[in-house]
Amino acid sequence: MEESIEWVEKYRPKSLSDLVGNKKSIVDMREWAESWLSGVPEKRAVILHGPAGVGKTSAAHALAKDFDWETIELNASDQRTAGAIERVAGSAAKMSSLTGTSTKRLIILDEADNMHGNADRGGARAVGSIIKTTDQPIVLIANDLYGLTPSIRSSCIELKFNSVQGRSMIPALKKICVEEKIMCGVGVLEKLADNAGGDMRSAVKDLQAVALGRDEIYIEDIATSERDTKESIFKALGKIFKSTDPKSALQATYGLDETPENLIHWIDENLPLQYGTQEGTEEDLITGYRHLSKADRYLGRVRKRQSYRLWRYAGVLMTCGTVVSKSHVSRGFTKYQPPSFWRKMGQLRSKRDMRDNIASRIGDHCNESMRYSRTDLAHLYGRMLKDDAYAVDVAVNLDLNVDEMVYLTGGKKVTKGIQKINDLAQAQRSTYGNDDAPVFFEKKAVKKVQDKKQMDLNQIMQSAASNGNSKAEETSKTVNSAPKDDPKPDQKPAAKAKPQRTLFDF
Amino acid sequence: MTGGFEIKEEIWIEKYRPFKLEDIVGQKETTERLISYVKSGNLPHLLFSGPPGVGKTATAVSIARELFGDGWRENFTELNASDERGIDVVRTKIKNFAKTSPIGGADFKIIFLDEADALTSDAQSALRRTMERYTSNCRFILSCNYSSKIIEPIQSRCAVYRFRHLTEDSVAERCRHIAEKEGLSIADDGMEALKYVAQGDMRKAINALQAAALFDKTIHRDAIYRITATAHPEEIMELLKTALSGNFVLARKKLDTLMLEKGLSGEDVVGQIYRAIFDMDVSGQRMVDLMDMIGEVDFRLTEGANERIQLDALLAHFALTKEQ
Repeated sequence: MEESIEWVEKYRPKSLSDLVGNKKSIVDMREWAESWLSGVPEKRAVILHGPAGVGKTSAAHALAKDFDWETIELNASDQRTAGAIERVAGSAAKMSSLTGTSTKRLIILDEADNMHGNADRGGARAVGSIIKTTDQPIVLIANDLYGLTPSIRSSCIELKFNSVQGRSMIPALKKICVEEKIMCGVGVLEKLADNAGGDMRSAVKDLQAVALGRDEIYIEDIATSERDTKESIFKALGKIFKSTDPKSALQATYGLDETPENLIHWIDENLPLQYGTQEGTEEDLITGYRHLSKADRYLGRVRKRQSYRLWRYAGVLMTCGTVVSKSHVSRGFTKYQPPSFWRKMGQLRSKRDMRDNIASRIGDHCNESMRYSRTDLAHLYGRMLKDDAYAVDVAVNLDLNVDEMVYLTGGKKVTKGIQKINDLAQAQRSTYGNDDAPVFFEKKAVKKVQDKKQMDLNQIMQSAASNGNSKAEETSKTVNSAPKDDPKPDQKPAAKAKPQRTLFDF
Repeated sequence: MTGGFEIKEEIWIEKYRPFKLEDIVGQKETTERLISYVKSGNLPHLLFSGPPGVGKTATAVSIARELFGDGWRENFTELNASDERGIDVVRTKIKNFAKTSPIGGADFKIIFLDEADALTSDAQSALRRTMERYTSNCRFILSCNYSSKIIEPIQSRCAVYRFRHLTEDSVAERCRHIAEKEGLSIADDGMEALKYVAQGDMRKAINALQAAALFDKTIHRDAIYRITATAHPEEIMELLKTALSGNFVLARKKLDTLMLEKGLSGEDVVGQIYRAIFDMDVSGQRMVDLMDMIGEVDFRLTEGANERIQLDALLAHFALTKEQ
């Protein structure tokens, strides 16, 4: 019997040169590691960030092997409070002076974007301070760069790991097949690589899933295992947009591995591309959205009350409702688009983070809630920044940097005026010797992570409703489906229950 | 039951839980692949997604039984994630089980996380490195209703198998098998009733069958419907037709019969009306409109509104709105 070990582990790259893809980041990482050989470099840590399964963790471990360094790994399966991190990483970070050898220890903080509220209290801050003082190299690994606090990010080199191209996976997959003595039919590996969608780990895992217990694999073997997934969502959309039979459309969604919460985004994305594009069918689009909106109401009820039984009505309204909204059937091939909503949410995140960061400082300064600061005070500060009489004081009081000033004044880039305000503010800061400034920042940073989810909601709310009245609250709940890219939905209630302190709390 | 040496399994869903992968009905493609995994003696991490009662747990247990033989329980742990869903469980209980070596010469052990979509996403992300680090000791099988509720990094570590709704034939096949073992006979109308109440959920079908068997060795539809607090589908159909023909008063009388004499709850009735609408001869537009109204009533019931008033309102809506 073969050794029973997951192939993903068995064939994890042993050396940086075995890694597939991301050449540039790997070269940079190696350079950074080499700089450690001659003293402590300026940036003592790197952040490897990127999607799942592209080799971030493998790269960190392979680096240690290549340089013959020991490793200490802390990941989300370990408790990561400030105390725990300082105990493990902090002591490791100073170990070399004790052993007297020149060997380094590589500290790997895996899943660094997943430091969790109470369970990991103070963790992010501890990481921040260790990075600044360590005399051992540190690698942080994260899916989501914005899940890390700005102060951590600013003291690290950021290395992005991208999705791995399908064809560059093939040689590695071939090697595994040779090792495992598996014969592959034509196009099998190409298909596996293609299906993986840039995720190398998933390609290896799929290969194992297909190959286990077989000596030979053929393209048909893969076809069966993938048939359920991508194809069927397009098939279901085809029924919804092209057929006139509501029941068969609903039937087609039963086999889907998608919640109604996700499905509605697919329909929403494609509805305007399908309906109302021809003269005289404008009404179809309106009716379609009327049904979609009703469906969404049920989704909201389920979210609020956890009565999942009501999902069935959402399903009927979004599928059958869309079917009956069409006044005529458009023939021909259509390429359906995946929901762009999640992608856009991700892209806007850095901007949102900055906005919320500023708002939270305004809130602290004025003893107001963050929401109120954002909706009612931020623009006032923006105005004041444009007025020479106030600008410098505002910048000092809120501790604004140039980018934040650009944002507040609604500009596009750093102007001379802003630069001048910044210089004057700097001068004033040094005059008053702003000692507690670092603490001030740190505090912000930790708080920000906790509140982030709530802010995401607020963001949606803001774009949905133009002004923040009480109705908007309702909207934010309805839209918060934002499922996949949402790293910690269960934080939401916690974040909600614990909003910023307001005057009314006292 | 009897005081023999062997303790008899009394609950049929346990007694007739399939022990072998080949006994699992309705998931042929999936079980075929899993059988070849078992033959090879190795296993990737697995993620089973699918509706309830289609064999996810049975499959996981069967894998363990076939891999480990009689001592399977020692190397198999089942955790219901909806009971223990926080990050601490992952960091302590699961990690500790994963760390320790398998017992009795097995190559690895299996952790079965039922309803893994109930794990908070913090807990899910705490799980990912555990899955990798102890892979020489341990395999994970996760089950969930929708794989999209499992975070991407975990999906990327698992071979995902989608379990389908069971067809009526699969349900019938298994019920017939059990009836044979228990010395029962199932009348034709009894089988129809079993399929109707099961809705593709084997667990429901077997529970109904066992309950009905306590009354009579021959299973008729009346027993099945009575036990499961289900109205005959024809009665519901009649109720709807009466309402849709505009006769509200008569429709309400029929509703009273169902609720007062047969003891159906408002939820039961709404659920059956929901199913019956698909068999009605109405236009698609009308169907969608009616569905919205049914959903509205269902929602109000979950909010604690009065069953009778809400259902009366529903019937009135059926009777007094006409198709445009």
